[in-house]
Amino acid sequence: MTLLRTRGLTAGYGPVTVLHGLDLEVAEGEIVVILGANGAGKTTTMRAISGTIPRAGSVEFEGHDVHKSAPDAIVRAGIAQVPQGRGTFPELSVEDNLKVGAFVRRDGGGKIGADALRWFEVFPRLAERRSQRAGSLSGGEQQMLAIARALMSRPKLLLCDEPSMGLAPLITQELFQVLERLNKEEGLSVLLVEQNANLAMHMADRVYLLETGRIVASGSAAELSADDSIRKAYLGF
Amino acid sequence: MKSLFTIKSGGAASWAMRLAVAAVLAALMLWVPTRGSDSLIEVCTTAFTLMAAALSLNLLLGYAGQISLGHSAFFGIGTYTTAVMVTRWGWSPFHTLPVAFVLAFVVGVLVSLPALRIKGVYLALVTLALGMVFPQFIKWKKLSWLTGGAKGINDTGFKFTKDNPTYEIFGWNPWGNLRGQNVKPFYFWVGAIIVLVVYLICRGVVKSRVGRSLVAIRDNSTAAAVMGVNLPVTKGIVFGLSAAMCALPGSLSAIRTGTVTADTQLLTVAGSITFLVIMVVGGAGSLWGPIIGAAVYQFIIERTGGWTEPDAIPALFRPFFGWSKTAPGGGLFAIALILLMFVAPLGLVGLWRQHSVRLCRVVPKPAGTTTISVMAAAPAAVDETHTA
Amino acid sequence: MELFLQRTVDGLSEGSVYALLALGLVIIYRGTGHLNFAHGEMALFCAYAVYQFGEWGIPIGIAVVMGMGVGFLVGATAEVALVRPVARKSAFAVFIVTIGLFQFLNWLDGAIWGGQQLPNTGVGSKQISYPSLFPSADTDFVSIFGAEITIKSLGTIGLVLVLSAVLFFVFNRTKLGLAMRAVASNADSAKLVGIRTNTVLMLSWRIAAAIGALGGVVTAGNAQSVSQSLMFSVFIYASAAATLGGFDSPLGAVVGGLAIGVIQNLTAGYVEWVGQEMKVGVSFLVIVAVLLVKPSGLFGTAKVERV
Repeated sequence: MTLLRTRGLTAGYGPVTVLHGLDLEVAEGEIVVILGANGAGKTTTMRAISGTIPRAGSVEFEGHDVHKSAPDAIVRAGIAQVPQGRGTFPELSVEDNLKVGAFVRRDGGGKIGADALRWFEVFPRLAERRSQRAGSLSGGEQQMLAIARALMSRPKLLLCDEPSMGLAPLITQELFQVLERLNKEEGLSVLLVEQNANLAMHMADRVYLLETGRIVASGSAAELSADDSIRKAYLGF
Repeated sequence: MKSLFTIKSGGAASWAMRLAVAAVLAALMLWVPTRGSDSLIEVCTTAFTLMAAALSLNLLLGYAGQISLGHSAFFGIGTYTTAVMVTRWGWSPFHTLPVAFVLAFVVGVLVSLPALRIKGVYLALVTLALGMVFPQFIKWKKLSWLTGGAKGINDTGFKFTKDNPTYEIFGWNPWGNLRGQNVKPFYFWVGAIIVLVVYLICRGVVKSRVGRSLVAIRDNSTAAAVMGVNLPVTKGIVFGLSAAMCALPGSLSAIRTGTVTADTQLLTVAGSITFLVIMVVGGAGSLWGPIIGAAVYQFIIERTGGWTEPDAIPALFRPFFGWSKTAPGGGLFAIALILLMFVAPLGLVGLWRQHSVRLCRVVPKPAGTTTISVMAAAPAAVDETHTA
Repeated sequence: MELFLQRTVDGLSEGSVYALLALGLVIIYRGTGHLNFAHGEMALFCAYAVYQFGEWGIPIGIAVVMGMGVGFLVGATAEVALVRPVARKSAFAVFIVTIGLFQFLNWLDGAIWGGQQLPNTGVGSKQISYPSLFPSADTDFVSIFGAEITIKSLGTIGLVLVLSAVLFFVFNRTKLGLAMRAVASNADSAKLVGIRTNTVLMLSWRIAAAIGALGGVVTAGNAQSVSQSLMFSVFIYASAAATLGGFDSPLGAVVGGLAIGVIQNLTAGYVEWVGQEMKVGVSFLVIVAVLLVKPSGLFGTAKVERV
């Protein structure tokens, strides 16, 4: 079943239009990867979906039109975003970061606490630093925290904006393994934006190629890497 | 946007326009002191005082992007240097101007030292502290032998007597007898010259290489430092220069009024705020902004000064202000200031630049003559990363 | 010893008022990075309003609550109508707008209530002195170790301590506080976790203005009158307190406020050479010295400058 569907998604900053009518789909339980170079519009796509910039076109989530919803309503509907460049709250403790992640939840403190414990199990390094300020964590730890924080809202769809940026390859691999596990075990759908084609292609169910705000190719990872011209021009391997 | 005329910068039409503006200004400058009423001359001289102070602040804030809420202190340094030297040591008033200039420069450079380390809102507060402390310092008992304490100092200006009725420049006397009311045009000219001097210094700095590095500091000081702009020295000199220029109108006010006290409005923080709002209303980061701002400010205050009785208020405004016995000038100017921030954060000059294009477009010369028109203290809202 | 105790308590009481206003400045600054220059004048407007309520015969207890309500409204209006539209343009424009608001409110106070000190039977005031929250007759004091400490001073200090405790609870233990801290730390990410940042900012302004109103009423009560220039120096001391404590730290605001009050009173009292005039200078020297060592104040967090 389709979880997220955009039709003619258009967005930009002030007078500059960055996205020119994207048609994207993410089905339940899928990992979808958007690949593209710098300036292709990847981050803008993420922002447009999460409602943090003005946008036109339709965005449907679980069959409901959310393209006019405010960011908080979109989080409530079940879309959580891990923004580019960590997006943690540096002055807050690790534990408070997780609590903020559960801001939209109305269920009791007990369940939220239990969830936090669960993510501490998944990311044991965060557990060790739970009372430290998030700003004092390393880049990889902050990225883990940002993901854990996003998961605290119990999303159905996780938007991840270049989680590999600025991280050592080993740590990136570890992160991607966690995402894959969550996808397999919990059925979490993931929409991932990446420049690092090689790594992301491995776990993707489907891939979109983005160039200057337009989708230039889409299909399963295998289909795209089978096409020689696409592989050479966009995937670089 | 379509415009009625298009002219080339540096072309004949552009020069004709400049000449026309200069001619109008020159005519005004001759007409006011010779034919204008005494009160008009007074108002203009006060406006000159504010112009010079706002111009000096503009160099610091509009171009270097460093905020100062303490310029009233530099103004006061001018006032008190002149007052003390004239009354205690018998100097001729005009000879104290260079001393005030240098003294304020030194104090300005000293103040800029902590400012190198302290930034943003903290710097604003440090300069505010300077503005707050200055009048208290003047009133300090330990210094009252010099500054006259809270009572202030009298006879700080010229004493034109029967034997000494005028001020001659190397034996040349263009003003005639300066006793009584005749003295007003004289101060008008002094004020005009001070504004001209301050304007020329600002212009010289802004158009020079230093001026460009200033803009670099304003837009991004970290980046400027990386590019090799010597921050501490440039910032220090600009701060000092700005302070020094602000002392000149301060001296003038001591010479003109003949009495000084530490609680005079322009010597307190209220003065700093006045300079600041004048500069902003006119247009921060443009050379003409503070001049226009001061003229508008003085015009509003003067025009509405008598609006304390309903009968004195023009019919159009009576319903809004007739209920109060307080002159509405301050309130009107505050409203104008706020409204201006909504439509044009770069002040009246910015407003003119936005809309004058419809009337007349000036095409810049092809290369190397880009004018500075953006103020970084007001960075565009869209400076988010466009990376995607 | 008695004298020392008395001067310290007087200083703490004076500093409590600075702390009240500094708290408001910090709450607003943390949310948006804006220095609200009109903060003192907003408080003054409320202090005038409480005078007016007193003229209408409303008892001080209720009048203060109403005054804080006025502050709440003024804060909301200022944020929604003036600050938010301009904030999109630039932070500097916001600063200038608050200066405009400062001038406008000061003018408005004068236009409505006149330039003289109030209450003033000469212009028809029914009250004899400004309504005080605490008993403030000459006989209302307690003796502690021989020092005569006025109930007024103790009340002011107690009020600030209780209010700070409440605020600290709100900040650190409630969901609203968590949201406020999150917005202060990273407004973009706060949006992404579903916090309505605009609502939080508006609430910050309202809370700050209401606390400021209380500060205005206490100041006027201690001075026994209200006038147009009442709050300006208090505002400057409050911003000095926030600077000393760190502009993004509520704890710093309280500590900074109390410290400045005590420093002022002790230097003026003991260092004869400094005297009444230059006690201002001493506290500002202390602040500059602190800033040179810690440019973001005692409890402030230094944000890393990025190119």
